[in-house]
Amino acid sequence: MELRKYIFRRLIEIAIIFFVILTVLFLLFRLAPGDPVTRMVDPNMTPEDAEHLIEQLGLDQPIGLQYLYYVKNFVTGNFGVSFHYGQPVADIILNRLPNTVLLFTTSIILSALFGIFLGKIAAWRKGESTDTWMTIGALICHTVFLPWLALILIWLFAYKVGWFPLTGMISAEVWIDPEAGFLEKAWDIVHHMILPLGTLFMIHFGSYLLIMRSSMLDTLKEDYILTARAKGLEEKTIRNHHAAPNAALPVVTSVGLSLAFSINGGALTETVFTWPGIGRELVFSVSNNDYPLAQASFLLIAAVVLLANLVVDVLYAYLDPRIRYE
Amino acid sequence: MTKFNPIRIIAFGVLLAAVALAGCSQKEPAGMLRVGLSEEPRTLNIWLASDANSRKILSKIYQPLYQHDPETLELIPWLAADLPEYDPETVAYTVRLRGARWSDGAELTSSDVAFTAKLIKEFRIPRHYSRWKFVTRIETPDKRTVRFFLKNPKAIFRSRSLTIPIVQQKEWEDIVRIARTKEKPLAELLNHQVESPVGTGPFVLKQWREGAYLHMVRNPYFFGTGKTIAGRQLGPHITDIVVKIFGTSDVAILALKKGTIDMFWWGIQPGYLDDLRNQDDIHVYFSEKSALYFMGFNLRKPPSDDPHLRRAIATLIDKNFIISRILQGFGTEMYSIIPPGNRYWYYPEVEKYGAKLDRESRIRKAYDILTEAGYSWEAPPIDDAGAVIPASGIRLPNGQPMERFTILTPPADYDPHRAISGLMIQEWLRDVGMPAYSRPMAFSSLLQQVKGRHDFDTFILGCGKLSTDPDYLRIFFLSANDKPRGWNMSGYRNPEFDKLATESSQAMDREERQALVRKMQEIVLRDVPYYPIYDPLLIEAVRTDRFTGWVEMLEGIGNIWSFTQLKPISRDS
Repeated sequence: MELRKYIFRRLIEIAIIFFVILTVLFLLFRLAPGDPVTRMVDPNMTPEDAEHLIEQLGLDQPIGLQYLYYVKNFVTGNFGVSFHYGQPVADIILNRLPNTVLLFTTSIILSALFGIFLGKIAAWRKGESTDTWMTIGALICHTVFLPWLALILIWLFAYKVGWFPLTGMISAEVWIDPEAGFLEKAWDIVHHMILPLGTLFMIHFGSYLLIMRSSMLDTLKEDYILTARAKGLEEKTIRNHHAAPNAALPVVTSVGLSLAFSINGGALTETVFTWPGIGRELVFSVSNNDYPLAQASFLLIAAVVLLANLVVDVLYAYLDPRIRYE
Repeated sequence: MTKFNPIRIIAFGVLLAAVALAGCSQKEPAGMLRVGLSEEPRTLNIWLASDANSRKILSKIYQPLYQHDPETLELIPWLAADLPEYDPETVAYTVRLRGARWSDGAELTSSDVAFTAKLIKEFRIPRHYSRWKFVTRIETPDKRTVRFFLKNPKAIFRSRSLTIPIVQQKEWEDIVRIARTKEKPLAELLNHQVESPVGTGPFVLKQWREGAYLHMVRNPYFFGTGKTIAGRQLGPHITDIVVKIFGTSDVAILALKKGTIDMFWWGIQPGYLDDLRNQDDIHVYFSEKSALYFMGFNLRKPPSDDPHLRRAIATLIDKNFIISRILQGFGTEMYSIIPPGNRYWYYPEVEKYGAKLDRESRIRKAYDILTEAGYSWEAPPIDDAGAVIPASGIRLPNGQPMERFTILTPPADYDPHRAISGLMIQEWLRDVGMPAYSRPMAFSSLLQQVKGRHDFDTFILGCGKLSTDPDYLRIFFLSANDKPRGWNMSGYRNPEFDKLATESSQAMDREERQALVRKMQEIVLRDVPYYPIYDPLLIEAVRTDRFTGWVEMLEGIGNIWSFTQLKPISRDS
């Protein structure tokens, strides 16, 4: 019952925070210098053309009125039309979002699984060479500059060795071939995914390993671990069934939030690998003053992150019986 | 017993899959040209397409009445059968069409041409309307003849209005009818999603998989196939064009070297040249651009309202240094507003400030100009013995100290050349004691400050693709265009120039217009509202092992002539 009340209270808080974000986003984009028309550096674009276009885009309206339309459209589920593409914003997001989710969510899940697994071993073998090498490896992976790593991997595995495609999500040659079947196309996507996935995996798994290692080291000092040893339980059982599940709690928070943030993709990764995701669109929309697309993308991220926070908090209560919501 | 180790198993699986897949060869038909683009086209709606990438694609689909000859840049009849006939009595142009068909097999008629022009006028389509608003009436006496009646003689009609792409009435009339009923008809028209554009060009779109590629195939109805136009036998001989998107130039260059693409349709930075030149099967083309990179002054306020100061600054700018050091030699010094590659209109006999002078001589000359105009210094740049020394405390002719003088530039991540040029110019101006500061700022902010608010001292901007018609010279400096969002960003007002500019826009005789345009260039370089700096070379690279026949012209090899003349290289040879 307490949990239901807690969730209800949090949902109201989320709604209020979301409305604040909605308003702040609107103001930020209107306060930013320039507009979608100013960027058109073409001598054929006369001031009269510019004014006409601004009027047609609705940007000549008083800012208060624009805000009311913005809120009304949002409430009715109308995200508007992208100034840049001339397409409904919802279509653009729906077109790009699955690509981002596929790549980034997979990479986070894989890197979290490996990070937890290796972090557990590193902590268990604290001070040994296994721990040293794993920690150094994790630190290097965690701190390496992503575009540099991506370009090196592309150069080595795609250009020099030729194992993988250079960039993109699919090969035009495969997809326009009328004889290519479903399996060939599915393999083509997997083939394109390996390098970006590998890059993201290397970047992310180090942080999970370090969090897990640190948490596991704290857990191993707990009294119940001493009790388990005193009871004569096997070391493997103590590690896997007593220490690791408790130590994994901070990683759950981190993974939950990372999964939420993964929907905004990564502009750098998507750019270097020409991955047609939402991250690149987000950057383009901001730099092109494409208000409808930028606002909708940020609102989507805000909504998912706020809800993910709630889910992680609730999940905590299930994972850790000591936590109760009142 | 071997322990279960998920890392080893997954690593082995990935490696196995990769090796297996690496063995799968991708099929590429001999006639398929694979082109790399740096960004995805914005749209296939010709009226919304203001970006370079959309225009690249659409220029292979929608065609104009006239093209430019790749060598002379003269107008060449394309959809038109011959050059337009001008009747000064009625101020009308008559254009006759050649027999051409749309990609759906329908005949191109004069109604399509008239429809296109009327659509532009009715919806006041940005970037096009200014080229058609002076057309008062359009007649179609027969299905192959169109007659345009103008309000008054307009020189740009031939070169600017008749070179717009023609759309099919059948494809657009329903869209137009619906748009007319909406509250915002232009927005409705621009936001219309075009999925299968019907054109008269050599290629037709087969598929656009957003975020991945565009696939175009040969248009079986292309009017030019087998014909000789401008002395060139047209194909197209390539069967397909596949356009792939690359997020970075680094990867696109790797793709070119590896043979994944045959051409990277984007300017290449000089840093890649050494690598590309070492490749036997890659050829690098260097083309002149129709571009202008310049320093603009704000003539609305002191101190840049003083022509002496502007001339002194022009004298201090070492274009040779900018070209050789910042552009690494891949550019041309510009002395006029019209780029040298536009040979008919370019006029080199204008005032060339500081040409071929060394650093000290520039400072001396600038010092002389400023001294004669009444400027003074606490510590002048030339001492009593005539030696050049560090200067400070420059004062305006009215005795007031010169305040902070700001040079606005785009940021280095947008254009490193302009950002670094700004820094160099800052140092050169400080040589004569000017408190100059280069200030890179976001491109949108820069444009708003310069075009919208007119709140600046100077700025460095560039027009990357100027038309071959020199009408932009009039647009940039006409007094009437000195208004917010207007193209007279400097606020230049000169009745003498305005008169010449108006005359030039109405001069129907080409030689007469040339003389007027030359005079306009002279005046601009005398008064220096803009000071032209450089025109970068366009560097493009292609593979030579699969196709031959690229046509070089102003603005590079990605022109319609290349795409209609390229031939696959026989693999047997």
